Amino acid sequence: MSDTIDMVDKLLADLKNIGGVEACAAASRDGLLIRAVMQKELYLESLVAMSATILGASETATTQVQKGVPNRVIVETDYGKLIIVGAGPKALLIVLASQDTGLGLILLELQKSAMKLKELLK
Amino acid sequence: MVETGIPKLDDFLGGGIPVGKSLVYYNQPGIEGEIFGLQTIYSNLKSGGTGVFVVSSTMPDLVKSQFKEFGWDIELYNDKLFFVDAYNPLIGAPSNEKYVVSQPDNIEGFNKIITDLIKELPPSTIVFGSLSTIMDLCGEKETIEAVKTWNKMAMLYDHVIIYNFTAWPYSQETLDLIKNDLFNAVISIGGIAERVIFGQYFGILKSDWTEETKKSMLFRVLRPGGIKLYIPKILVTGAFDAGKSTFVHALSTRAISVDRLGTTIALDHGHIDYKGFSADIFGTPGQERFDPIIKLLSGESMGVFLVVDSTNPADFVRAKHMLEITKAYGLPYIIVANKQDVSGALTPEEIKEQFNMPEDVTVVPVVAKDKIGVFEAFEVLIDKITGGT
Repeated sequence: MSDTIDMVDKLLADLKNIGGVEACAAASRDGLLIRAVMQKELYLESLVAMSATILGASETATTQVQKGVPNRVIVETDYGKLIIVGAGPKALLIVLASQDTGLGLILLELQKSAMKLKELLK
Repeated sequence: MVETGIPKLDDFLGGGIPVGKSLVYYNQPGIEGEIFGLQTIYSNLKSGGTGVFVVSSTMPDLVKSQFKEFGWDIELYNDKLFFVDAYNPLIGAPSNEKYVVSQPDNIEGFNKIITDLIKELPPSTIVFGSLSTIMDLCGEKETIEAVKTWNKMAMLYDHVIIYNFTAWPYSQETLDLIKNDLFNAVISIGGIAERVIFGQYFGILKSDWTEETKKSMLFRVLRPGGIKLYIPKILVTGAFDAGKSTFVHALSTRAISVDRLGTTIALDHGHIDYKGFSADIFGTPGQERFDPIIKLLSGESMGVFLVVDSTNPADFVRAKHMLEITKAYGLPYIIVANKQDVSGALTPEEIKEQFNMPEDVTVVPVVAKDKIGVFEAFEVLIDKITGGT
């Protein structure tokens, strides 16, 4: 069983290696931290719980008006970016990026990683 | 009785380890199991006992700094804690310890030191930092024979003897012996990746002095702090304006909320460290229009606080409905009777009656804004989650 943990760690390490990514985490849809990789020690439990809420609320909002589910949620502040994407019915991925980073590569890789995480947790 | 110092494990073991018994911490590779032995030794020193730590996989100085990392000041117990150095001689370095195994790759050398020490010292807690390392150096069969002798002698001289063992791929025969026959008690320590709960757990595999319990507990290793039992999610729910957020904040070491005009619109999230437990608390909104979010976030809970406003029985129906929405039936839950300080508040007995709840549901009186009763409530729920004592 610890193999799955190793594989999730590898997937997160790859994401973390992209320029500008400060932290990334895999979490359950109901807001529990699965694993995380980060530059400096952060208390991620709250971030993860809130991210699950944000994504869940976004999905509820858009499906209510027949607009389907969001591909991702991006939150931008003066100091950085928070990106949340769903990874199958059980999980989601969270990335914290620095403010000056372009999102192109991150979003592309994030999409791939989300697909992989979905498969890993099947 | 010698306490292991691991929260809840002593309860499971009926108070601790009786004098003369042996115990093995049986680790899956890759799990932070070594710390169990350290924590047991430290908790013994604290309660006035003598401890021996047999170091065979790293330098004794490193082990000492590990103790410090966890915030455990062993300097206070210099005359009560002895290290057996079976590492420095291996790499040809000098040793500062009183007890040194000069040839750590020869079981005879080990035998002599350990048996001398068992005879010399007053009843102590003897912890082997890594039985697997001794096995790697001295051979599986030879080590097992030695362990048999050490256990018998420890029994004779009233010591408690504890081993950390990592289950590398040894022969099946060896692993079976260790799991089943060699020791009075076996605590298995492993990792799980079940659904979305990823973590480390321990449980009792065997114990010949107490009723066996099949319960296992999730744990985390905190630096400083040591082993804490970990409960990833406890849900706080209830009707609008019952005081859920106040309860989460009163209970938590640190907490955040998403609220507007004093009512929670998304989620309260708090973290609590209390009496050896480390738990994350999720507080739901109470208003019906947020029900979709509640459903979404209530999965994987291990227990539920149902907060009710004791002065407002009209809301009890909604509160009961919240239990359904959160799929909390079947989970351990307790009723938190909040606002007990307000005049007209119903007593816990009256609330129980009005709720028409099963007999075994506990109602705890609480004044969340003044932190009265919140930790009592936490203890009651934790007891239910961990299967009581």
